[in-house]
Amino acid sequence: MSLRTASTTQSRQSLLDLQRTQTRLNENTQRISSGNRLTSPGDDPSASAMILDFGTSIGANTQFLKQAGAATNYLTSTESALNTAVSDVTRLMELMPAASGSNASSTAAVAPEVDAIRSSLLSLGNTQVQGKYIFAGTNTQTVPFVDAGLPTNTISYAGNSGSISVGISAQANVVTNLNGDTVFFGAGGQGSSTDLFKTVTDLSTGLSTNNQALVQSAGANLSGILDNLNKMLATVGGRQAGLNDMQNTLSGLNVTLQGLQDNLQATDYPGTMTQFNNDQTIQSATLSAMSKVSKTNLFDYLG
Amino acid sequence: MPGLNSSLYIGLTGLSASQSALNVVGHNIANVNTPGYTRQRADLSSNVATAQGQVYFGTGVSLNSVTGIRDKFLDLQIYKETAVQTGADQRYSTVNAIATSLGDTSSSGLGAQIQSFFQSFQDLAASPESSALRTNVVGKAQTMITSLKTQYSMLDDQRRSADQSVGDLVTQVNSLTSQIAKLNDQITSTVPVGSNNDAIDQRKALTDQLSNLVGINVFEGSKGEYQITIDSGSATLVSGSNAYTLSAAQGAGPDGMSAVMSNMGPTGTDVTAGIKNGQLGAQLDLRDNILSGFQRQLDQVAAGISSQVNLIHQTGYGINAASAANHGTDFFQTSVANGANGLPPSITAATFYKGMVSSLSVNSTIVGDPSLIATAGAAGAVGDNANANAIANLQSATNTVDTNGNGVGDSGPFSSSIASLVGDLGTQVQKYQTQSTTQQNLVAALQNQRDQVSGVNLDEEAANMMNLQRGYQASARFINVINQLTDQLVTQFGQ
Repeated sequence: MSLRTASTTQSRQSLLDLQRTQTRLNENTQRISSGNRLTSPGDDPSASAMILDFGTSIGANTQFLKQAGAATNYLTSTESALNTAVSDVTRLMELMPAASGSNASSTAAVAPEVDAIRSSLLSLGNTQVQGKYIFAGTNTQTVPFVDAGLPTNTISYAGNSGSISVGISAQANVVTNLNGDTVFFGAGGQGSSTDLFKTVTDLSTGLSTNNQALVQSAGANLSGILDNLNKMLATVGGRQAGLNDMQNTLSGLNVTLQGLQDNLQATDYPGTMTQFNNDQTIQSATLSAMSKVSKTNLFDYLG
Repeated sequence: MPGLNSSLYIGLTGLSASQSALNVVGHNIANVNTPGYTRQRADLSSNVATAQGQVYFGTGVSLNSVTGIRDKFLDLQIYKETAVQTGADQRYSTVNAIATSLGDTSSSGLGAQIQSFFQSFQDLAASPESSALRTNVVGKAQTMITSLKTQYSMLDDQRRSADQSVGDLVTQVNSLTSQIAKLNDQITSTVPVGSNNDAIDQRKALTDQLSNLVGINVFEGSKGEYQITIDSGSATLVSGSNAYTLSAAQGAGPDGMSAVMSNMGPTGTDVTAGIKNGQLGAQLDLRDNILSGFQRQLDQVAAGISSQVNLIHQTGYGINAASAANHGTDFFQTSVANGANGLPPSITAATFYKGMVSSLSVNSTIVGDPSLIATAGAAGAVGDNANANAIANLQSATNTVDTNGNGVGDSGPFSSSIASLVGDLGTQVQKYQTQSTTQQNLVAALQNQRDQVSGVNLDEEAANMMNLQRGYQASARFINVINQLTDQLVTQFGQ
């Protein structure tokens, strides 16, 4: 027995199928032209949420890379200031034999260079990067080292001991500054034997007043001060190395994350094109079948 | 033995029966494309025989009735499923329309904007002295707020338009139910009951339309009358020849929108929540649950951001020591207006922070003087970035968003909340798409099944037509033969 098929049934079913084929064609065209597999979050809700999560991680890492770049700026400037300080102190040590000698003319010749080194060191202490004093702790808008001038010529510290840290990952921070007092005053603090400014001021005063004892006692402090500066350089170097590692890790991670995101998001061109072609074939076949089916019925044959 | 005259009458009954049946065929053919039309069949039967002694002679044929070939249970099922289909279609098209914008996964999406706001704090942390970066923070905050508000008001617009359609739909429903009630009356008052096929078809077509508009349950009474209730059964729309109107009571629904009232009793009953399907049910669901659900999620995220940022911001110090607002100031809204949790007093956890997005703004004092952004953890330290770091770190902090309305954060980070909103949105799109496709298949299958029983097949009608034509021709031929016999009798015997 055959079932009755009403004349409207075929066209209803074909129309429904045709509409669905067209919707698929439309979606696949969108996928092909946008390169994005998802035409709406509804295509794959969990992938949409994951794409967002990956996007957030990539954005966060990119920002951390930027932060690490900023931190590197400050640390590199600190490093170069320290390097200059080290060569200044080394030069002072080279000058010591001439300065502490008994020959008045040679000590007089040394005096201007010592003075020059003193003011060079002072300006190093007041190094500014992007408008802020890098050796002032968090008091970055205040000149950290101030020369009191005559008669004492004491150089004192107007910064603080605050540290400035920059986040370079969700958990890790890197401190971008060295406090001026630890760098230039050393462990003993201002006025002690580790105070670079006091030492160089004493040298200068000793030379100008021909006070050999003062010159010699100041000269004896230089090697300890050099040690301290080198230690500071090592600290900065360590931080920079850490930053470099972190930057490499973050960039590598971003490449991986982008790969994962692409896997979720990118159109599978071979697959999509195959489906697109299939659907086109289905569409034209349906259209042709529809036009043929509705053509024939018994009335055509009644005379 | 019957006389020639009665034979003539037999021929006549054949003629008229064939003609009537051809009439039915013609009606079927004419209605081949009429929606909801049920094919009709002429029920012919042989007439009562007359007895001549012990022999019974037939007296021809007569048309007993014209019957509509229908399966009424199929009809009732189609009404119900059609309403579910229209409901799913409507929900799908609306949710899908907002999904592209609200579910934007690109860099212009909401998630990216929120991240970009917190990153501006990270940038500022690297250089708290920079007035350009401070202005940038304010700018990014305003962009994020604009983004939130745009999405929120897009949802609001969709809700308003859903609300506007409620009034229109209610009017259409009322017009249909009153027509159905009238047809019920016609159908039950014709004798014999159920013989008014075209009235039944018209009622079916109208009920089909009604099921597109509103979810309904239809029952057929003993006299063939329809009893129609809304799909949850909480109100009757048609009972016999009575139609009970619905009305849209403006301002009686949530957020000053319309409530749907049933005017069945002496006082109206609110049936808004009782309408589940059809366009009306879908619009009400979109308006009161689906779209407002997304709005709620946005409010919750906004409340999380406002409250967490404000609380940390209050503890820090800006770099404008001369200003009284340098410490203890809120970043969002004005401090005076905010409560202890950094939110405006009108925004509470109990209402799931409703209205938070609308009232979100950057504190105007800070907009006027970005140097008041509290980057420092201690007073007077211009380069201190401890507080800026703390605010920036909020972007990856968990339990920053309160989703269950108890005032304690239980979700987060913010970007995850947005990702889960997008996931939720996608799931809804997928759910209604699947539901719509499934229902479409089901309704199409049911309609095909109905067509199998009730639809007109032109080949079948052509075959019937040929049969009836032949029958008519044969009857005419028979009359001709009897006529010749009579002629023979009259003329031959007359000579």
